[in-house]
Amino acid sequence: MIKEQKPTVFVVDDDAAVRDSLRLLLKSVGLPVEVFESAQDFLDAERDDRPGCLVLDIRMPGMSGLELQQKLNERHSILPIIFITGHGDVPMAVEAMQAGAVDFIQKPFRDQDLLDRINQALDKDAGSRRMLAERNMIRKRLESLTPREREVLDLVVAGKANKVIAGDLNLSQRTVEIHRARVMEKMEAHSLAHLVRMVLEVERPEA
Amino acid sequence: MASKHSTTARGAAARRTPSQQQGLEYRAILDAAVDAIVVVDHRGTIQEFSKAAQKTFGYEREEVLGRNVRELMPEPFRSEHDGYMDRYMRTGEARIIGIGREVVARRKDGSVFPCDLAVGRVQGMEPPRFIGFIRDITTRKSDQEQLLRSETELRLAQELANLGNYVIHPDAGDDDYFSPQLRRILGVSPDDQHRVTREEFLERWVHPSDRQRVDSGFARMDAGAAPLDVEYQVVLPDGTAKHLHHLGQAMFDGNGKLLKYVGTIHDVTDRRRAEDEARVLQDRLTHFSRLSTMGEMAAGLAHEINQPLSAIATYARACQRLISLPEPELGDVVGALEQINAQALRAGEVIRRLRNFVKNREVKREPVDCARLLEELRTLAETDARAHNIRLRLDLQEPLPTVYADPIQLQQVILNLVRNAIDAMVDAPEDRREVVLTTLAAPDGEVEFTVADHGTGLAPEATEHLFNPFFTTKASGTGLGLAISRSIVRAHGGRLWHTANDDCGVRFHFTLPAAPAAATGD
Repeated sequence: MIKEQKPTVFVVDDDAAVRDSLRLLLKSVGLPVEVFESAQDFLDAERDDRPGCLVLDIRMPGMSGLELQQKLNERHSILPIIFITGHGDVPMAVEAMQAGAVDFIQKPFRDQDLLDRINQALDKDAGSRRMLAERNMIRKRLESLTPREREVLDLVVAGKANKVIAGDLNLSQRTVEIHRARVMEKMEAHSLAHLVRMVLEVERPEA
Repeated sequence: MASKHSTTARGAAARRTPSQQQGLEYRAILDAAVDAIVVVDHRGTIQEFSKAAQKTFGYEREEVLGRNVRELMPEPFRSEHDGYMDRYMRTGEARIIGIGREVVARRKDGSVFPCDLAVGRVQGMEPPRFIGFIRDITTRKSDQEQLLRSETELRLAQELANLGNYVIHPDAGDDDYFSPQLRRILGVSPDDQHRVTREEFLERWVHPSDRQRVDSGFARMDAGAAPLDVEYQVVLPDGTAKHLHHLGQAMFDGNGKLLKYVGTIHDVTDRRRAEDEARVLQDRLTHFSRLSTMGEMAAGLAHEINQPLSAIATYARACQRLISLPEPELGDVVGALEQINAQALRAGEVIRRLRNFVKNREVKREPVDCARLLEELRTLAETDARAHNIRLRLDLQEPLPTVYADPIQLQQVILNLVRNAIDAMVDAPEDRREVVLTTLAAPDGEVEFTVADHGTGLAPEATEHLFNPFFTTKASGTGLGLAISRSIVRAHGGRLWHTANDDCGVRFHFTLPAAPAAATGD
């Protein structure tokens, strides 16, 4: 359903030299990179929710890195953020981590340290996106169930035996068995355990 | 009538005996004498008292005849007089008789006056008689005393003020005069009376570096153009260095011929030294304040140096990776190397400006191009602003004039005001976080600098103490910034004040006089 896209590293830094050197470094390791000189420019850009990660300067005039993070959180963005901090910015870095940043790195940094963090962030992003895709798929399957099938599913997931379900729903045990088989088929579940896991996956509050 | 009268007198005289005649003459002498005359016997009893004596002492003749002469003396002489006479009678040893001296006497009303006393013994009489001649010298005495007193006072005043005066005659003939204090100041012994020529004066008492200046002062004085008013240094043979303030004037006669020079030389060494010490202290305090301003900006400055370093490190590694690619794009590498160079220079520039600003250096005023100065300042100020997520906007009126100032102290004032503005906005909302620095050339030749913030503004009690040293509203402030900024501005002939901003916050203004066009040359 979601086409595999090559992830992009987005860099937001107000310092032209820092920004450009990061662009060149990422280019040298073959990572697609897009640079922005302010948080607002990044927000305004059409990104179409592309996969990747964000390398973000924590201190910037105008909208700071922390404020951009907050705005992205409000928009339910899943883009992992790596903050670049100066020395003495530890309290800000802590705040950033509490708000969900994946990591921070102090300037000046070893290029490999940054690249390692970027790769981890990209892995995390890919994982999140896979999970999101899977959840969407499960939701779609759930939507294909009839109201009666949904009732049976909920009771199955609640751990009730067919006999009990039949009693609860005032159906014959045979009818319950037929519904249950339809549910397993529509949900593409290999086993009862698989079915339960899928339902719990989408009912869990969103991460 | 006159002739008849004189004939009658001559007739009467002719009838007198020689002794009678002598008695009359004696009386006439007594009464005509200007000095008071008192005749006493060997016990001191007054036998005769002349008219002048009556006038001098205030006694009638009849009152004092038969009284003791000691009554004409004040204590302690009065009590001791009998003893003097006894001693003379016994030993013949004279203290006054035949000698004369200055003594004090007492009038009838009790007042005492100085007088010259001469006493003679009447020869050939036993027991002896004595005649005293008394001259009231009150007036002479007080003139003398006054002269002496004013001389003493003048000497004392000169010593206290450490000021000496002189009178010099260009033509030998009249004596020159150097007051004792002047001799002391210049290290000339009181016996050294030789005349000093102009050349010798300059040679001996003016430091070589000041000679030209002093000499041209002398020349102006000689020409009658201006009195001499010059300060210079001298190192005396014993090695003491002095600062002298020399005022002098040439006096001419009606035909414009030079008569003499009169002048004073004031030893102002102590005052100069105190002023120097005060200036050194002030400079140190100013430097200290600059250092603490820099200290407050340390975090921002570290950031400012970290940026280029960080870019350099990243560019360098990118280059390595680009070169090791199978088909390296050398254009990227060249661009990166150029950037490495530029960023290294950028870091160096920040350090240069920082060092310039905190260096302990001599205060030196020079024509300062405001535009260039603000450019120098911009890096430091923006760094600080950025570290606090505050924008710095420069609103400069073009073209900016040239001011005559110490560039570093001027930067210090502006940076201090920008720092304060930043600190006032730490908690301000995003849309208000801006410091605006404006310059304006006023028509009266002044340049006005304004630093405006949109912060919390000033509490009334803060307004009152704003410029007091050590008054601060900041947790880590020294309280010296504004006090020193104001003294710097004042020393440059300008003013520093503040007004409330239209909506919120404060504006600090200061002015500097624009440099005259002639001093503008670069």
